[in-house]
Amino acid sequence: MDRRNMLALLGLGPALVADTPSFARTAPKTTPESAAPLTSGLVTSLNPAVTPKLATRIPLAPRLDTLDGKTIYLVDTDWGGMGQNDGILQEMQAWFAEHAPRVKTVIKVKKGNFVTDDPALWKEIADAKGDGVVLGVAG
Amino acid sequence: MSREAGEIEQKYGIPTVAAAGSNVVSFGIGANFIYNTGMPIRYVGVPFPFSGQPRSVLKTYIEGKDTVSGKPMMQAVLDGFTRPLTDAEKMSGSPPESAPEPRLLPADTEDNLQRLFKDKCWTDYNPVIIPTEERVAAMLRGTSHKPDEIVKSAAGTFGTRRPFTVEKVAVLAVMAGAKPEYFPVILALASMVPYQDSTTSIAQMIVVNGPIRKEIDMNAGLGALGPNNDANSVIGRSVTLIHKVIQGYDEGVTGFASLSNPLRYDNLCIAENEEALPERWQPLHVQMGHKPTDSMVTMFTGWNFINSTGWVEQHYAPQLLMRDYMSSLSGMSATLLMDPSVAELLSNVQGFTTKPLLAEWLSQNVEKTAASYWGNAIVSSMLGPLGAQGLEPYASWKKLPGDTRIKPFNNPKSIHVVVVGGKTASVWFATDFMPEKSVSIDAWR
Repeated sequence: MDRRNMLALLGLGPALVADTPSFARTAPKTTPESAAPLTSGLVTSLNPAVTPKLATRIPLAPRLDTLDGKTIYLVDTDWGGMGQNDGILQEMQAWFAEHAPRVKTVIKVKKGNFVTDDPALWKEIADAKGDGVVLGVAG
Repeated sequence: MSREAGEIEQKYGIPTVAAAGSNVVSFGIGANFIYNTGMPIRYVGVPFPFSGQPRSVLKTYIEGKDTVSGKPMMQAVLDGFTRPLTDAEKMSGSPPESAPEPRLLPADTEDNLQRLFKDKCWTDYNPVIIPTEERVAAMLRGTSHKPDEIVKSAAGTFGTRRPFTVEKVAVLAVMAGAKPEYFPVILALASMVPYQDSTTSIAQMIVVNGPIRKEIDMNAGLGALGPNNDANSVIGRSVTLIHKVIQGYDEGVTGFASLSNPLRYDNLCIAENEEALPERWQPLHVQMGHKPTDSMVTMFTGWNFINSTGWVEQHYAPQLLMRDYMSSLSGMSATLLMDPSVAELLSNVQGFTTKPLLAEWLSQNVEKTAASYWGNAIVSSMLGPLGAQGLEPYASWKKLPGDTRIKPFNNPKSIHVVVVGGKTASVWFATDFMPEKSVSIDAWR
């Protein structure tokens, strides 16, 4: 269907549309100086790139000699927000129970949403002498 | 996730292993580590998707391979705790700064520069205006601010330090095709970085209010949402370039939007048709506490953009169809973009003599089931935890049977109205865009 027929179907005529006032529907009157034509040949351009600052490096905590007899906290980041996203951590817990029964695992759910911190939980884990943390799962 | 793992490692000395999908892993061990956290957190990669999968599938993930190392998943977890630290993982202090980007690029042909700009991810993959010194100098005459003034330092995603100057914004404004008179608007928008990103299809919307609209010939009338006006198009495009170049958004490196959003080409850049507002309807910026004579730009963030399709029918008042369509939105926020003719009908015929009266009615009348409400992952991930902490109404809503109908827009102040259009059809859009920030354009003149 061409435009004229479509407009007729809608009860409009092209002239009606053409005459409709609009404010500020104007074409540029002149080529702005900021887009003046280039001369031929080589062009010198400013560099758009920003120089990012590198982060101060922070070392990781020392690793464990062994997991034997250690307590690992499996912390659910509550990615979905409904307390129903700890399936992978439960499967990890089951794996430890079957394959490394001397590793104690504790599942915890982080408070707040997935972008908020939960410093109280980190302190709780430290106070309870937690030896390691698996933080998951996000994506 | 890297920040939390980093806090556990740094503050308490507890070794941590983070488990995540490939996007979080890529960001965590890549750009986020280099520019933000400074801590090389040990990750294991979980296949995607994991949310919504039955336990039987999750079990195969645990029994399968870590997508980072390729080792068996649980072997990789054990290694994360026990493998001795490398020298790189023990590193502390400030790394040597990378060499600053030169102000000028080596002289080259325009064709080669166009190619370079695309190769560097500095464009939206449409041709740009090459920012020569002359063009940038002309752009800088659009503001009283000095070229070397730092607009913002924490400009990257998650506040990564990417300091940029007024001149750098002028470079991007030239590339987008801007005139110098647009430059204060573009600077105001640049001052709002970082813009929100997500693996979801998040997008931005730009609404300009005040005298600047007419000064720079923005279109608030006929075809305002389409490609029909220089200022609307070019200012919107400028934000796309600012997002990519200044904020450093690079799909697959610093951002991972699975589908992304076509609105990101132009960021829905419009002006409100203040002259066509019904008598007691205030412009957006006045509702926000600014003077009518202030020139302001407001950046919205959202996902959805639903058109009324047809015009207002005699037998179904416009607010009724708005109510119906808004029931498919998340309920966290809404912005109605409506033609002045719709605003007139709502005000003069339906009795909504102010924008807040319409928002109040919609707040009371939009409904959806509790299951549908919590089925939206943005709602559940952001508001579900609040409900878990006892905050109402979310705590009560979490306990409801799934088929119970709730009023998701429980806060009428989360519903906004912008009047725009040319009065050739009584049409409107229901969107879930929420205003993030309003910035004075006058401050950047």
